[in-house]
Formats: sequence, C-alpha cells, structure tokens
Amino acid sequence: MVETTRIELLVNGERLTADVEPRWSLADVLRHQLGLLGTHVGCEQGVCGACTVLLNGEPARSCLIFAVAVADGVAITTIEGMNRAEGMTPLQTALREHHGLQCGFCTPGMVLTAHALLTREPEADEGRIREALSGNLCRCTGYQFIVDAVAAARPAYRKEEP
Amino acid sequence: MAEQAMRPQMMGARVARVEDPRLLTGQARFLDDIQVPGMLELAFVRSPYAAARILDIDTGKARKLPGVHDVLTFSDCPYRLWQRTEYQVGQPALADGGVFYVGEPVVAVVADNRYLAEDAAEAVRITYEPLTPVLEMRAAILEEPRRVHAGAENVFFHRSHRTPGFEQAFADAPLHLTATFRLNRQTAVSIEPRGTAALPDPASGRITVYASTQSPHRMRSDFSEIMEIPEHLLRIVVPEVGGGFGMKANTYPEDLVVVAAAIKLRRPVKWVSDRMESLLADVHARDDIHDVEVAFEPSGRIVAVRDHLMADGGAYPAYPFSGAVGETSLAARVLTGPYHIPHLATEIDCTYSNKMPLGAYRGVWGPVASFIQEGIVDRVARRLAKDPAEVRRVNMIRPEQFPYRNAAGAVYDPGSYGESLERALDLIGYEERRRLQRLARESGRYLGIGISAFVEPTAMASSEAGSIGYEACSLRIEPTGKVTAAMGLGPTGQGHETTMAQVIADQIGVDLQDIVVLHGDTDSAPFGGGTGGSRSGPIGGGAALVAGRQMGERLKTYAAHMLEASFDDIELGNGKAWVTGVPSRSVSIREIAEIAYTDVKRIPPGLPIGLELVARYLPTRSVSFSNGTHIAVVEVDPPTGLVSVIDYAVVNDCGQLINPTIVEGQIHGGVAQGVGAAILEALRYDDDGQLTTTSLMDYLLPQATDVPRMQIAHLVTPADGEGGMKGMGEGSLIASPAAIANAISDALEPFGVLVDTLPVTPRDIIRWTAQSGF
Ligand code: FES
Ligand code: FES
Repeated sequence: MVETTRIELLVNGERLTADVEPRWSLADVLRHQLGLLGTHVGCEQGVCGACTVLLNGEPARSCLIFAVAVADGVAITTIEGMNRAEGMTPLQTALREHHGLQCGFCTPGMVLTAHALLTREPEADEGRIREALSGNLCRCTGYQFIVDAVAAARPAYRKEEP
Repeated sequence: MAEQAMRPQMMGARVARVEDPRLLTGQARFLDDIQVPGMLELAFVRSPYAAARILDIDTGKARKLPGVHDVLTFSDCPYRLWQRTEYQVGQPALADGGVFYVGEPVVAVVADNRYLAEDAAEAVRITYEPLTPVLEMRAAILEEPRRVHAGAENVFFHRSHRTPGFEQAFADAPLHLTATFRLNRQTAVSIEPRGTAALPDPASGRITVYASTQSPHRMRSDFSEIMEIPEHLLRIVVPEVGGGFGMKANTYPEDLVVVAAAIKLRRPVKWVSDRMESLLADVHARDDIHDVEVAFEPSGRIVAVRDHLMADGGAYPAYPFSGAVGETSLAARVLTGPYHIPHLATEIDCTYSNKMPLGAYRGVWGPVASFIQEGIVDRVARRLAKDPAEVRRVNMIRPEQFPYRNAAGAVYDPGSYGESLERALDLIGYEERRRLQRLARESGRYLGIGISAFVEPTAMASSEAGSIGYEACSLRIEPTGKVTAAMGLGPTGQGHETTMAQVIADQIGVDLQDIVVLHGDTDSAPFGGGTGGSRSGPIGGGAALVAGRQMGERLKTYAAHMLEASFDDIELGNGKAWVTGVPSRSVSIREIAEIAYTDVKRIPPGLPIGLELVARYLPTRSVSFSNGTHIAVVEVDPPTGLVSVIDYAVVNDCGQLINPTIVEGQIHGGVAQGVGAAILEALRYDDDGQLTTTSLMDYLLPQATDVPRMQIAHLVTPADGEGGMKGMGEGSLIASPAAIANAISDALEPFGVLVDTLPVTPRDIIRWTAQSGF
C-alpha cells in the first residue's frame, strides 16, 4: 500500500486527525476521511467553486489543495461549521426564502463564499455580490435569487459588527 | 370568511421549499456521498482515438497493482444498449473490438479507491490501429470519407414531410430568402457529475442501484431487459441529484458496467464521473445544420418554409433517446413556432459520426426550432425594413384560431400568443429602448434588442424520460394522520417534494408540513415515467391531484358518516373535516385515521380498511403547449467582440401555476443557460476527432456576472387537463438563445450582420465588424 502521513486539521473549531496520502486533496480528505460530505466536488479543476471552504475566513478551493499542505493551525470552515445550534444562519434562511437554490449542489460553496463576502463587506452592492460569486458556478438558478438572498442577508452581518 | 381562513390555498402559493434546509446545511446526500463498508471504486480507461480497431488489450500489469480487485473488458460485461431493432447499431457497455469516439469506455478497473483505480487504469496497455475519423456532418451524410459502422449507413434516420400544395404556394410567393443555420455542440453540465453505485445484497439476492438519474423506473426496466436481471430483484434509488437537464435521462454504458462489476465481485461498487469524463462522455446536444428557404409577402406574412434539418448523432444512438432524432423530428413539428405559417416542407437526415452520442439537453428540439423560426422572422423584417415586433404581429396565431393545427400537424391548445408579445414589449419598454438604441449608435455604441416568441410542447406522451404517458402517485394517511405520498418522478432540483405536497394539501386539507413526498425509489414509488420533457408539473401534478381528490372523497365519506351529515356538506381543511357553516361539528383527520386502522368496526360501510390508494393520471391530450415571449437587450463591443446581456424580460404562460417562485427559478436558470448557449458554450472537436474542450476553463458556463437581472410576468391560459397546469421546465432555454442571437443581429445591423451560428464568439464579431468597412 501507498505510504500515508498522519496530519492534524483544525476543522470547524475541532482538532481532527487523518492518515492521508500526500496526493489526496483537501476536499477528498474532508469528505472521505472526515465524513464532512457537505463539501462538494464538481470539477477538480478549480473552476466551479462547489468545493469552496474557508481557510482562516477566506474562500479557498479544497479540490486544488493537498490536505498535507494545509499549514498548522489554519482554521478550516466547511458548510457543517456554518450551522448555528438553533438552526440555519440568517444567510441560509435568506437563501431559502428567496429560492436561492434548486438542486443544491453548488449551495454549500455559495453559502461559504457569500458568508466570507458579507463578513468583510456587509454593504456589498449587487455588482459586488455578483463579482464575489462569479467563481461559484450554478447551473440551475441563473443566480438572480442567490444575489437577492445575499443582499437580503446584509443586515444580519451589519449587526455583528462591534 | 372564517371557514375560508381555515383552508389556505396551497396551489399557487409562493411557499418555501421543504428540500432547502438539508441542502443549505450540507446534510443532503448526493451520489458520491453514498459510502458503505467494503465499497470499491471504479475507473474507466477511455478511448484516446476517434476511430480505431483494438488489436490488443493487456491488463496484466494493472491487475498486479496494489488495491486492484478486477479489470473488466467487454467479455465481462457483454451487453449492448439498443438491442432492439430501432437502429442497426447499439453501443457495447465496453468497447468490443473497436472504438468509435474519443472517451468511449474500453476497460474498467475496480480498486479499493478511486486514486488506486486510476493508477491501475494508466497501467492498462491497449494497442490500437487508428482509422480515418468521420467528423463532418454534410460529408458523413454522403457516406464520406467512409461509413462509421461498416454494417450500417451513416444516415440512421431520414424523414420528410410536405404540406399539400407546398411547391405552388412557395413558387407563387413574391419574395424569397435563404439561410443556413448552425448550432454547435453543447452539453448540459450538471454541476454534480454523473455517477452510479451498485450494492448487491447477498441475503435477499437483490441488487440496489443508486443512480443519478431522472427516470428511476425506466432505468430499472433497462437493467432488467439489457442485463436480464429479474425486475423484482432490482431496486433503483435516486439520491439527491445535482442537476440533470435531460442529460441524466439516459441509461449509459457506465451504468451497465458498474452493475456488472458489483455482481461479478459481489461487492458494492461506485463510479463517479470526473469533469473531463463528463465533458467527453455525458450525452452531447445541439449539433445541427439547417438549410432553410422562406417564401413571404411584402406585408411580412410568411407563406412557406422549407428546411433540410441535419443532425450529427455521434457514434451511436444514445439510449433510449437519440438526441439527433429528437432535435430534428420534433423541431420539424414546431418549426413554425407561434406563427401561422401555412406551408412547410421538411427533410431530416441524422448521421453517425466519430463523436460522442447526442442525447437530451433541456429543450431538446425547442432551442433549435426557435433559433431557426425567430431567425427567419428577423430576416424577413430586415429584408422589408420593418420592425421585428411588427412582423411578429402580422404572423402570430390569433386567439380565434385555437385549437390550432400547425403546418406539421401538431395541435396547439389555447395560449396567450399575441398578448405575451405585447406584454413583453411593455415590460422591456420597447419604444424607449429603440430611442436609446438610436442615441447610442450616434455615439458609437451598439445596443440591440432581440425578440423571441416561443411555443413549448410539454407533458408529452413520450419524451427523453421514456414513453410512459402517465404518472402515478401513491398516497397514504398514516394512523396518526400524517401523510406519505410516493411518486416515480426523478427530480433534479425542481422542488417536487414541495410542489406535489402543495397540490395534495389542498385536496385533503392537511398542512404542508404533515405531508412527505417520496420519490426516486422503485421500492416505494408506483411505476411511473420519471422527469423529463416538462412533464412532472402537469402529469405528475395531475396524478398527485387525482390521488389527493380520491383520498379527500374518502375522508369526506368518513366525516359524513361520523357527523351524520351529507357528503356534499363536508369540507376539509387544517387537518379537520367539518360540516359547512358549522365549524364546531368537526372531526380531525387523525381521528378518522385511527378508525381506519385500529377501530375498524367503525369504518363506514363500503370503505376498505386503512387510508391508502394509488392513482394514475394520463392526460387526454398527447401534448400541451406553453407559450411566451422573451426580449433581450445586449450591448456589443466590436473591437473586443464581447457581448453583454444588459436587460431581459420574460412573459410566460404555463397555465395554472403551482408555485410561482419555483416557476420563476426555472425561468431564471433556463435564461442563464441561454446566455451560455448564445455566446459561451461550444464543445469543439479538432481534425483528429479529439475533444479540445475538456475542462470548464475551455467549456465556459455563464457566471453570476454574465447573467442579466430578469423581469418576469405571468399570463395564465389554463390547460384543459387536471389542475390546468402546463409544463414549463424548458421554455426558458427554448426562447433565450434566439432572443440573444436576435439582439446581437439587431445591435450589429449597421454591419449587415444576421447571426446564423450558435454560439456567437468574440472572434465572429470581430470578423463581421472589421470586414464591413465601417
Ligand atoms: S471542485 Fe473545486 S473548483 Fe470545482
Ligand atoms: S442549485 Fe443546482 S447548481 Fe446551483
């Protein structure tokens, strides 16, 4: 069998260990070693954005990163880490209310990308939202209701400011 | 009033989807999320040649690699799609002595995981003797440079049709024009790739196949027929499906191989396509050429259209639906669109080639027919120097002409043809746009307005989902009064769990959250047709409605008996049945259910034990036509060749709406795909038959910044079937490529441009505008 290395990852606030081959992508390790199946793989070419996770709050494509290359102490957030104990976040609720998803395959990546945007720029306008989401492909929705939902979630992010 | 308030109308309400929470929180389970202990993964070795004989396959080295369980060739999986007689050739599950397109599955490797399976796939040695590939459609039709399959003519489907008196009418018309239209290959590109997992159950001898498919029952029949597995030993389960758009309606060679491998190894086996495989080997669509001649009058009235429709079907007819046949034969039936064009002559040739088979992609024939028909109308307008809106008015089918039989014999049920055009012109502010366009031109900017009026044949007796014309719904009220419905649909994001529950809720008077709609599991769902051809709303919804109504009648019979009232005085709502005008004389559905299942002595005479039934709904019409108008506004930048779609209006009439928000979502998605179809997406084969667009960096999908904000208005001309619904899943992609193409033509009118090829690329625009001497 191929040699594996033991690595430690900080995922959704928890320290998790996995035995991985050096060539395994972070997406595959999250999904198949750690059981975090909400991270989706749509292309493995770095184009579709379905595999988006947050690394220290910044969107990153987990299909393009080797799990062994994630530096020590980097905080990884997956869709499973977005859920509040009491249910969905205001962003997720807005996506539901505005019908911002159909098949839902692109949705975890959209949620994380939009969350990172609004965390940084709670005033983002429509043009800015479209630009920030332009690396996340959705084949179902035509984007309009996603954009509407992200715009509707802005107040929730304003409140969280100090 | 009080009683009305007790009965919220779910039909037509903009309710949020029950599917969403699991999808939004990463808890939904798609095909690649199916993992069971001992599961093996499969990888394919695919043909690197467009056409070649296979001289030798050496799997020795691959078999010895770590973690490899088996290496399969055709002899391990000796099945062919299309064993029936419709076409002379059927694709083998794995190549049988030769390869016919790049990407054709040749060998399958089964290993502990996908990484190891791919390592071993690379170690398989295959010796090929390359042949001259057949790649050019017109030449292929003439059997040049050779036959694709030695034993079969290249033209595998030919048909012609001509209205009586065509030649005379054509010749008598004072004006004529000719045009050739070309649609380049495109494909659906669901963001979730295709995949299949097969799990044999040694205890029962059954096999469960998880499949990312739109037609679970059809797929079960396919495995049963092709692989001779008794149908009752097969279970198809469709997990969450990340988009299908017609492409997941087929049964593919890969599906057969996964099932054969699982049976052979007696282990669970899974295969999930990677993106390169998807672009190579998901069915392609839209490889068509149309040679068109049009006869018309100075008024703009179009008298006759002649069209030679050609489609490149690829190496094999896709199973069970050849996209080439669908795109041509059905395009020929709706080629006159919403216009009263009395004469039509069509001739169809579908040819084999050394490319991926053509299958279904949303709209199938619709985007093709619409591109031709709207292109014709704009050419007539251009020639006569008339406003394109005016030429549409002149030709539009008038309300008093319904039911309208078009020149190909298709019968349109009533729609809002002229009205949708006028509403769309209002919505976009047509006259004002024309004024702004003139102003912009003066300052060297090229704005264009493109109109596309469309018809959408829906709810057809047969479609890419199969030829089952009905849909079925089983409905069970559980002993506690909760409701379980099961249907044979294969949703891929359309929200059927919500819309079907809306339909049922009104009929039996329970809250939406008390209904669960199961689908996509052949063990729980009654036999039905599946999802495709915009049939789930009208036919599936019709079945849900009939089942709900029958259950509602049973509940009323109970209530009438228990409340000592007459059946006709019972109303249902809010989980209760009560006597009209006396809300206090009521019984809850839960109480009725208790009697039905446990206190059975109290069941009213003549009713069976339990609250369970199956209803099937077969519409009386074999097709129902939705309609509407799209208008696109674009700006074209000649120096860079870039097109931006800056505004967009849609007026849509799909009869009665179950959930307008979901309808609008479908429209948005289809228009976005139309942006791709019009200006971005093309699968390109080079002169050797190599597909050069094998990543999403080469095959460009519309991004959030490419798609305009759309305004939508609904018109409602109810269908005469159950519930009055018409289908609507495809109209948006039927109309939008033509709208955008026409807008580009309109923008570049000063250069004499009339778009005849999709997609329009920046290179095309630079070439057209640089040459014209402006
Ligand atoms: S799967 Fe990572 S970008 Fe598509
Ligand atoms: S909802 Fe299907 S890809 Fe976005």
